[in-house]
Amino acid sequence: MMQEVLRLQNLQKSFGSVRALKNASLTLSEGEVVALLGDNGAGKSTLIKAISGVFPIDRGDVYVRGEKVSIRSTREAMDLGIETIHQDTSLAPDLSIARNLFLGREPVNLKWLGVFAPLDLAKLRDAASTLLKRVGISKKLDADALVSTLSGGERQSIAISRAMQFAAKVIILDEPTNNLGVEETHGVLRFVKEMREAGHSVLLITHNIHHVFEVADRIVVMRRGEIVAEQTVADTDLLTVESLITGADMSALMKRAQ
Amino acid sequence: MRSPQFSSFVILVVLLAVFAVADGNFLSPLNISNMMAFLPELGIIALGMTLLLTAGEFDLSVGAVFALAPVVVMLLAQNAGVDIGVALLVGLLLCIAIGAINGVIVTKIGISSFLVTLSMLLIVRGAALYITQGFPLKSWDQPGFFVTLLAGSVNIGSFRFYTSLWWFIALSLLAVYVLRYAKLGNWISAIGSNRNAAVARGVPADAVKIWLFIATSVLAGLAGMISAFRISAASPVAGTGYELEVIAMVVVGGTALTGGRGTILGTIVGALMLRTIRNGIVLVGVPGLAYNIFVGVIILAMLILHALLQKNAARS
Repeated sequence: MMQEVLRLQNLQKSFGSVRALKNASLTLSEGEVVALLGDNGAGKSTLIKAISGVFPIDRGDVYVRGEKVSIRSTREAMDLGIETIHQDTSLAPDLSIARNLFLGREPVNLKWLGVFAPLDLAKLRDAASTLLKRVGISKKLDADALVSTLSGGERQSIAISRAMQFAAKVIILDEPTNNLGVEETHGVLRFVKEMREAGHSVLLITHNIHHVFEVADRIVVMRRGEIVAEQTVADTDLLTVESLITGADMSALMKRAQ
Repeated sequence: MRSPQFSSFVILVVLLAVFAVADGNFLSPLNISNMMAFLPELGIIALGMTLLLTAGEFDLSVGAVFALAPVVVMLLAQNAGVDIGVALLVGLLLCIAIGAINGVIVTKIGISSFLVTLSMLLIVRGAALYITQGFPLKSWDQPGFFVTLLAGSVNIGSFRFYTSLWWFIALSLLAVYVLRYAKLGNWISAIGSNRNAAVARGVPADAVKIWLFIATSVLAGLAGMISAFRISAASPVAGTGYELEVIAMVVVGGTALTGGRGTILGTIVGALMLRTIRNGIVLVGVPGLAYNIFVGVIILAMLILHALLQKNAARS
């Protein structure tokens, strides 16, 4: 049994009278890719936002490596080793690649100056180049290039490599292949496999079931704020998963209930 | 080379050349001294506005703060007999409060800065008019440490330099440092470029914006004090319309109105340019009332140029 990295227990979250998360429980082990599936409004986004500290949960517990934690801000999530790559919103287009890679964790000189501390520009550039080289995109990309000049796939690669660089235990990918071309999509999926090989745990939110079967170890299906099914990829098939998402096939539901 | 601040700089040089040729007095020591006396007053506000715009917000209340701060300081010093140092401290706290209120309402309640600071403009201008009953205050001609500090002057040859110029230069250097080299500048640009991304990386976006509103307000108050000390009087209608002129300086310099891209050097060029135009077209004999037509046309031309340059850059 691989070591457990993240455990969510009975998470609940309401927005006004809408119960966005009813009783969500989930575990994630080291080096595991778990796909989180569900229709629009199923509660996937609420779940990952709760884990990444965008807003607090109403009830329930979060454990990181067996230790109970409370995540009150995105900063705290990052410090716990949880990196989230949000759909299209992870990078600042007007900043260079290097500045984006270290946003919020800038290397500085004269640390005592606080927010007025000067950036260690040489270190910033070097670290960025090293990182780009490591993830195999340095040939095309200059660390000083503005993110606004990059393609969607390149941006996604930058965001993913940033998460990997900070040795995150858990990397959450929210629709990473949205709006990407075929080749770029394959690049991102290759990244997911690399992350697993490097020992990161990945929570992958996607609408594309084919991608799930390509990279995930386990599938978790959400519907109306609840987790309704959990299966290993080896034990299931496309049709079953599809019916789980839409809720059309009740027999599968019954199986889970037992 | 194609950067907006560079093209603005080229146009500034052209303007200077045109005015110098058109009127012999344009480059005279007296005229340059005059321009350098006026420049810092709007320029100092423009520095704060540049940082604020880069973070994706702007402040329409600066012109009103420019009037209210010196009015309050002078009222306290003249009518209430408060020590000028204490009065200045009260003025400073007032500016901090105005900026903080702007910032908190914009970030915590989520109303656009256009609406919040427009309301603040009315409140602050109204306050300045009410407490003075609409009249300029008695002239203040007591020299002292603070007057020298803010509005002293030295003659170098036939040039006359006010201390406000040194304030402007020092604050400009500080602003360049903050925006380009400090961690804070990275945050400011990131917030204006993509607030959600910045917040997701743990950048305290709301706090940064609130402090920038405070800084802008304080700089507007400082500029107002400099102006009031220089002309030895405070008026409740001083600085009317400055907010738009300052925003014009900033965007002419190449800072994006939509946030994310800010340039202090561009703002300095923009401030010089609007100052030059204001001064130059009067010298070459354009009627004063037609001044705004020229300013408007030149601003529009600059913005069109920036937009075309950006389109070209995107294509290549």
